[in-house]
Amino acid sequence: MAAKKLYESFSKELIEDVHRWGSMKQTSVSLKYMMEFGSRPTARNLLISSQFLHKELPIRIARRAIELQNLPYGLSLKPAVLKVRDWYLDSFRDLRSFPDIKDQNDELEFTRMINLVKVRHNNVVPMMALGVQQLKKDLDPKIDYKDLDEIHQFLDRFYMSRIGIRMLIGQHVVLHDPNPPPDCVGYIHTKMSPLEVARSASEDARCICLREYGSAPNVNIYGDPNFTFPYVPTHLHLMVFELVKNSLRAVEERFVDSDKVAPPIRIIVADGLEDVSDEGGGIPRSGLPKIFTYLYSTARNPLDEHSDLETTDVASPSTLAGYGYGLPISRLYARYFGGDLQIISMEGYGTDAYLHLSRLGDSQEPLP
Amino acid sequence: MAAKKVGDTLSRELAEEVKKWGCMKQTGVSLRQMMNFGGKFSHKNLLISAKFVHRELRVRIARRVIKLENLPYGLSSKAAVLKVRDWYLDSFRDLRSYPEIKDKNDELEFTQMVKMIKVRHNNVVPMMALGVQQLKKERPKFDYEDLREIHQFLDRFYMSRIGIRMLIGQHVALHDPNPLPNCVGYIHTKMSPLEVARNASEDARGICLREYGSAPDINIYGDPDFTFPYVPSHLHMMVFELVKNSVRAVQERFMDSDKVAPPIRIIVADGLEDVTIKISDEGGGIPRSGLPKIFTYLYSTARNPLDEDFMTTDVATACTMAGYGYGIPISRLYARYFGGDLQIISMEGYGTDAYLHLSRLGDSQEPLT
Repeated sequence: MAAKKLYESFSKELIEDVHRWGSMKQTSVSLKYMMEFGSRPTARNLLISSQFLHKELPIRIARRAIELQNLPYGLSLKPAVLKVRDWYLDSFRDLRSFPDIKDQNDELEFTRMINLVKVRHNNVVPMMALGVQQLKKDLDPKIDYKDLDEIHQFLDRFYMSRIGIRMLIGQHVVLHDPNPPPDCVGYIHTKMSPLEVARSASEDARCICLREYGSAPNVNIYGDPNFTFPYVPTHLHLMVFELVKNSLRAVEERFVDSDKVAPPIRIIVADGLEDVSDEGGGIPRSGLPKIFTYLYSTARNPLDEHSDLETTDVASPSTLAGYGYGLPISRLYARYFGGDLQIISMEGYGTDAYLHLSRLGDSQEPLP
Repeated sequence: MAAKKVGDTLSRELAEEVKKWGCMKQTGVSLRQMMNFGGKFSHKNLLISAKFVHRELRVRIARRVIKLENLPYGLSSKAAVLKVRDWYLDSFRDLRSYPEIKDKNDELEFTQMVKMIKVRHNNVVPMMALGVQQLKKERPKFDYEDLREIHQFLDRFYMSRIGIRMLIGQHVALHDPNPLPNCVGYIHTKMSPLEVARNASEDARGICLREYGSAPDINIYGDPDFTFPYVPSHLHMMVFELVKNSVRAVQERFMDSDKVAPPIRIIVADGLEDVTIKISDEGGGIPRSGLPKIFTYLYSTARNPLDEDFMTTDVATACTMAGYGYGIPISRLYARYFGGDLQIISMEGYGTDAYLHLSRLGDSQEPLT
């Protein structure tokens, strides 16, 4: 049971350390640098990388831990949020108590340790979602999503930071792979075909739709099959999957009882931009701001108080609609690499989602 | 020759009046209110309308005079801007010196007077454009960022002008003994957006044909029976501007190519709250970095047809394919005037989609700044 008072679980010295490191300046890594550096994973480079992470990760993690303690409306005291805070504090302690990295053995141990840190934080998103849900129950039901703006801004920063931390850790860990797939530098595929990723992501989304509804609208994809650029395929897959999932569900629900053939979802891939269009009936303009908030969903929330989030793995989105995080998180992923996600809807007709991707290399990590 | 300061030629009294009225609260009217009020023709209503307009115009026009006198970067003292300010002052003076409206004759005279005011202000937009241009000539190092304050001013200024002209126009139209069926002044209670879109795109195609000798096809999709209350001239203007841009982009992209120019697609969607018109082209698109610029004033990738001679010529209608860069920002103001919006998303290397959102309910108040 998560302790409400910090000092019950963590020593005074640690807390002071957290405050000290949380005020230090973060260093953003240029994605071009990640690619260039990662292409030469020599023992020396791995040492340099681990020494950098040994300094940088505690700064970023401490910053988050402090923010988690100072959330508005009493969000910081919700059990689920306290749990997340404890994860961050444990990870901070692990990093700080790790001795100086001097040789290859140290480096390997360090890598193992930060990999465990990453695993520890696997369920942060659903756990925070639960925390916000716990808060909503306590709050005056008359409160509108707009009033929760402070919380939304916090969550945006928090999750964006998490993307960065996991990218740094993941890249470092994967660089130890003795047999990397061709053209890959860690998570980065130097010749990623957005068309191909879009194809597999939409097939995955269609499968889920078939499973839930028994049928699924077609997805037509247009674009240059030979066009490639450096990007992180898993990120793109996640974003396209989320967007197509929404489109499929909208179209399916609109045409399920109709004689008409469901119009296909169209995806246009244009040199760094993916346009996912559906004719699923659209969203009124008044409803659009809500879709980027956390915990707005027109579907049943699969999370509840009784989920054992410590041991269950809620990592994969196996339902067609869930706890309402698909769009805001997708937008964070897009923005992490200097891109963006825009959604425009035409009420009574359908919705268009524009995923702008920047070619890796030009942008720095955004560090909130 | 325009006087540089109000106080120089006009009495101090007038200047104080302007100040007084410029601080008074403006009263916004919604499309629905305009429609409901205008639908009942009676002398009593005409009188009420005239009194309201007499008061409200003074408030709005005085406000604009004050703003025009306090622009940043010395814009207020540019010759063209001084001319506009004098137009507003003259109109304020006309309104102020008009006596209280008591009967039918007063009311008819008043209506004639506000009609003349509207005519006096016909060329405000190009004249202000010239003023900004005069400023830019003096300060070539001006960046779009620096011009942000000016853009904000222009947005509010032009929005206010739309409102003033709407009020005057509606009042004048109330006097029409034989109004068109289903029309209340400028408002068509059963406007078909599909039909307006069709007309506007045909006009845009016409201009393209004239300038380039050919024009891409335009396909329009939507419910031909759907209607809702709106101002057709506003919608026509907005669709015309957007389609003009699309047609030009596609034409220039495929002019020297063997490929057939892909058609421009217009979708008219009707929802419960919103009516959305989407105009899509495959004209090659705009990079994301270039998008903010298209909503600024005086950004245009075409030759600027304005020049100094304009101060004496009358350039009322913009008949060229691309002009002084006002089409998109002004269209957005028209859209927002009745609670709608204009969004433009582009896909560099492919094409551009413009979304014209219109409010179906007509409940929103005029935006007043």
